[in-house]
Amino acid sequence: MEIRIDNLTKKFGDVVGVEDLTLHIDDGEFVAFLGPSGCGKTTTLLTLAGIYKPTDGLIRFGERVVNTVQPKDRNIGMVFQSYALYPHMTIFQNIAYPLKLKKAPKSVQNERVRQVANVMGIGDLLDRRPGQLSGGQQQRVALGRALVKEPDVLLFDEPLSNLDARLRLTMRGEIKHLQKNLGITSIYVTHDQVEAMTMADRIAVMSGGHLQAFDAPDELYDRPKTRFVAGFVGNPPMNFLDVEVSQANGGFLAQADSIRLPLGKTRGEAAAARAGSVTMGIRPEDIQIADDGEVDGEIFVVEPLGREDLIDARVGPHSFILLADTEARRRAGERVSLKFDMTQAQFFDPQTERSLLWHQ
Amino acid sequence: MTARESLFEGDKLKVEEAPPSLQRDLIEGLRLGFIGIAIMLAAAFFFSGVVHPLFALGSVEETVTDVLTRLALLAMPFVAYIAAASVARRYSARDVPRALALALTCSLVLFALISAGHYALGTGVFAPRPSLQMSLSQTDAGIRVDAIVPGGAADTAEMQVGDLITAIRRDAVDLAAFNKRLGQSEDDAPLRLRFIRGGEEMQETVRVVLQTDKDLRRLTPGLALGLVFTAIIIFLPGHWAPYIALVGLLSPLLVGYFWVIVATFSYRTEGLVPLDSNDNFGGFTLKNWESIFAGDIAGLEFNIWPILMTSLAIAVVMTFVVLLVSSMAGYALSRMHFPGRRFFLSFTLILHGFPAITLLIPIFIVLLRLKDVPFVGEFIGFNTIGGIALVMVAFQLPLGVWLMKGFFDNIPWDMERSALIDGASRFRTYWEILLPQIRPGLLALGIFAFIGGWNAYIIPATYSIGTGLSNLPVFLNELIDETAPVDWNQVAAVGLFQLIPIFIFFIFAQEYLLNIYAGGTKGSS
Repeated sequence: MEIRIDNLTKKFGDVVGVEDLTLHIDDGEFVAFLGPSGCGKTTTLLTLAGIYKPTDGLIRFGERVVNTVQPKDRNIGMVFQSYALYPHMTIFQNIAYPLKLKKAPKSVQNERVRQVANVMGIGDLLDRRPGQLSGGQQQRVALGRALVKEPDVLLFDEPLSNLDARLRLTMRGEIKHLQKNLGITSIYVTHDQVEAMTMADRIAVMSGGHLQAFDAPDELYDRPKTRFVAGFVGNPPMNFLDVEVSQANGGFLAQADSIRLPLGKTRGEAAAARAGSVTMGIRPEDIQIADDGEVDGEIFVVEPLGREDLIDARVGPHSFILLADTEARRRAGERVSLKFDMTQAQFFDPQTERSLLWHQ
Repeated sequence: MTARESLFEGDKLKVEEAPPSLQRDLIEGLRLGFIGIAIMLAAAFFFSGVVHPLFALGSVEETVTDVLTRLALLAMPFVAYIAAASVARRYSARDVPRALALALTCSLVLFALISAGHYALGTGVFAPRPSLQMSLSQTDAGIRVDAIVPGGAADTAEMQVGDLITAIRRDAVDLAAFNKRLGQSEDDAPLRLRFIRGGEEMQETVRVVLQTDKDLRRLTPGLALGLVFTAIIIFLPGHWAPYIALVGLLSPLLVGYFWVIVATFSYRTEGLVPLDSNDNFGGFTLKNWESIFAGDIAGLEFNIWPILMTSLAIAVVMTFVVLLVSSMAGYALSRMHFPGRRFFLSFTLILHGFPAITLLIPIFIVLLRLKDVPFVGEFIGFNTIGGIALVMVAFQLPLGVWLMKGFFDNIPWDMERSALIDGASRFRTYWEILLPQIRPGLLALGIFAFIGGWNAYIIPATYSIGTGLSNLPVFLNELIDETAPVDWNQVAAVGLFQLIPIFIFFIFAQEYLLNIYAGGTKGSS
């Protein structure tokens, strides 16, 4: 089912939930809504579900405008962060509830529930009650309940937030696999950018009720169109630094206090076109500790992550997060030389926060 | 490498454990005991010296502070024993003789101290008691005077050794009754004794004097009680303490229920003891119950069954309507936004605090007018069960609505959204998903409403004047006649009869009330 959201606005009194959101989702696509708390992603999801009525704009499922259609008539399935299982019903009754409401015959209910339960790996739990299940099992039940009526659209509202890290990893894979197999158009709300990056075909990054970007994960990572997207996508987050870009000796130079970094032509021209200082962004993996680095700094904190060390290096008043090989056994207080891969640097207008490199 | 600095100098967390010393434990036990005594004395002073004068300032006459003062003084030695024994308890598992020695020594010292205090202040066992200043013994012929204090009350009244006392005034007495009578007498009260001297019946009036008995043997029961109590305290399992405290606090209630039950099966009782016509234990009877069903109590003729049905009808109608309206209103207030919602909420809260009694007459007029409305008046007008139930429901609703709103507030929004998305209508969500989850709340409110309706007195009594329509509480009041003597055992029987359905109700509801659903939701909504 294709979903077209045009100029959607949802207000609660004077509080704006979402404003002027336009988003076209293809049939069978897996889209993630990514953003910090209160950015309007859940509001958008609940508006799509029909729980909230749009203040303005159009929502179309296929060709049908669904603005005022009741949730029960939209044929959607939804999985909640809190699972929202009905505690007074058994697992069987929970999963069968959507079918019961559709007045499906008992035999069909029985068959479909067992089918779904087996797919979800909870076939032997059907007689229990939700309170007797672990978090992971409850989430599978919730997913099964959403799938059992063969919805046109699947909505996920931070479904993995309450699971432990290990289980989250497993469920992530399972949901993605299931979605691809069934080909159900899915929208997945999350504030965890790793989840969004790994699962989604396209990510809609939202902030303050506005759509910041809507693109494939790689695109968002490599060519962030706004500073917000650059900072929100990627872990550990991108380093930002206000620099002056000037032309010198036929090349370009980005400069902040004692830091001087030579720039290539394309990036240099784009950044220099904006008068005054610009915001430079550079990802942790694009900074190396090397003997021939351009900048001298001191290691402030070392956080071992196992595979690599997360290092907070200070250069004068500026702080850079970077990743280093654990083999090097870096220590706090050590003086190091940093090498910046400026071909990956991003530049943003400090006022509009738009990228100076990737215009629309 | 960075230098490591310790934030603390030296290691002060290590505490050297000294070997247990009997002397030190003894001092600690006594100290705790003294603190216990001091606290109880302070409490007694607080009630008699602070609270009582405050009441007196407002010209309030009360005896509560007096009772509390006495209670504090009565509990004082026991609190002291418990405090002292708490030190010994730490040895009770591994060194019993040591624990016993420690606790008993402490309680002995504390008892001596408290007794000395009683002696000095002339209170407790050393308080002055009414006395006739002669010693007596029971014989077959009567109470024999064995000795007379020279110059004492009996001597002044010219009693002689060898007199056989048979009666006080015209009441025949034995020694126990005599002592009881004496104990209740006030200072200088005259007691006219009948006695036999030399085969001749005589009378003398002896005046009671208050006298302090300084016989130390009188301390023995107190000391024995103290030592036994302390010994029990040492070996009492710790987890029993809450139960003992609960039973202690509940004892007035338990005694009350015990009396009601005993009274219904006996002709008369003295205290908790059923007595027959000769003042001996016994005199059990079923007549109190028989007359309920026979429909005749002390000449008042009635049929219990319509009365019972009236009670039941009021309670059931009330339960049903309160549950229905409260749960729906609670849902709307919890889940929906509409103009006047906040006003409605605060207004119902005010109504809940409003004294219903003040509305009796206005509502009476309303019901009277309702009676004239065609059709409707037959059911909810004055002198109808419906009318009574309607008023009772109205008074119960503010509480119910707030209670239900609270329960609905606790169900996460996601639960409801989930049901809506699953394809349920709003009403179906309310009925199938939300109501089952607040079942404990519905039951609690239902029981409130049922008991409220079952025990209702003021409203049924007011709005069913001059008709045969009365429920059990109203009927109970009719039994208490203002001119004829009241048969309390009969009243107790009707009271217990009224209690039976409540008991049954609780036996079945208990299970549901305790069954609080676990799990199913996690995190925030």
